[in-house]
Amino acid sequence: MTGHDERPALDVADDRTIAGRAADGDVEAFAVLVRRYTPLLRAYARRILGGTASVDDIVQESFVTAWQRLPELDDAGRVRGWLMRIVSRKAIDEVRATRPHLELDGVEGLELPTRPADDPEHRAEHRAELAALADALQELPDAQRETWVLREIGGCTYDEIAEQLEQPVSTVRGLLARARKHIIVRMEEWR
Amino acid sequence: MTRDDSTGSSSLGFEPEDLDGHSMDELADYLDAGRTPADPSIDASPGCRIALDALERLRRLGPALLDQDTAAEPQADESWVRSIIDGIARDARAGRRIPFPVAEPDDDLGITEGAVRGLVRAAGDAVPGVLIGRCRLDGDVTVAGAPIRIDVEASVPYGVPIAVLAERLRAEIGERLRTHTELNITGIDIVVHDVRDLPRSGGDRR
Repeated sequence: MTGHDERPALDVADDRTIAGRAADGDVEAFAVLVRRYTPLLRAYARRILGGTASVDDIVQESFVTAWQRLPELDDAGRVRGWLMRIVSRKAIDEVRATRPHLELDGVEGLELPTRPADDPEHRAEHRAELAALADALQELPDAQRETWVLREIGGCTYDEIAEQLEQPVSTVRGLLARARKHIIVRMEEWR
Repeated sequence: MTRDDSTGSSSLGFEPEDLDGHSMDELADYLDAGRTPADPSIDASPGCRIALDALERLRRLGPALLDQDTAAEPQADESWVRSIIDGIARDARAGRRIPFPVAEPDDDLGITEGAVRGLVRAAGDAVPGVLIGRCRLDGDVTVAGAPIRIDVEASVPYGVPIAVLAERLRAEIGERLRTHTELNITGIDIVVHDVRDLPRSGGDRR
């Protein structure tokens, strides 16, 4: 494993190399991309969808789309964020298919088991904070959770979120403001 | 556990009356803009400062939550990876067809761009430590004999002079393309976009 005597394994290469090769048709490089980002994309899809849905199908379809569109990706080094955009589009498409109208005012969130905040180690406080955030997210109405996750985890612009949700930007802003208030208040209560 | 009122009745208030007339939406924009230009009516408001601190903390926690979620996800198993690889169209990258000069007008011979890129990648494999990334063919490749420049990106290991590696890579690519194709290559441009730290214990990437 010196890297000098043989071709280095593709999985040591940076994203730009891997995505560039995949864009050029190197299937093995694409497989590296799949291995590298499957956990991230599953986690992201789960956050968008609130933990209920079949994220595997969404992630799988996203990779197929990514393979088709990779040649259009101008900056191969930004493939991580680009993949996240594809996943969020697929995830939102799926919820829109089953939920034609955005319920803007629902208050009841999905009741899911909370993750155990279990770690006795020195990072316990940080983990508890993240667990509180996760719980607060689960309580949010779907549309608020989706906008918050797209914005704060996915880094989407307001315009991008509006386009994906097919809502005016003003609605997105309203959803985000409510989501933020809810999360902040709930996290404060859990302290 | 779940209260109906998700925003009010707490000691924290985020309505305009709690925020000296500002809204959460406005404060989020202010944060996005790096708190510039400074707005004294926000900066001087205790309510706004509490809200900004909370928004800022949330902003850090979002990516941290994703990192934690990602770490908790299982690695992709090979059957999953294969199912995706089997589902993609492998021939989708053939690209343009590059004709070779032929003696008889009725004869036809050519190579695809995809095949040329494959040759270039293989040339990279022959230079120890080098990994070719993107490869572009610059020129009117659909005309036989037209001048073509090759642009490649490469990732190289730390510890070897880049100029030496690039020269070897250029020679390797040139030789392979001359051997296997009839392309009129006028130049090979190499951009090293990544210098890898060699793995210390064999597992780290980058």
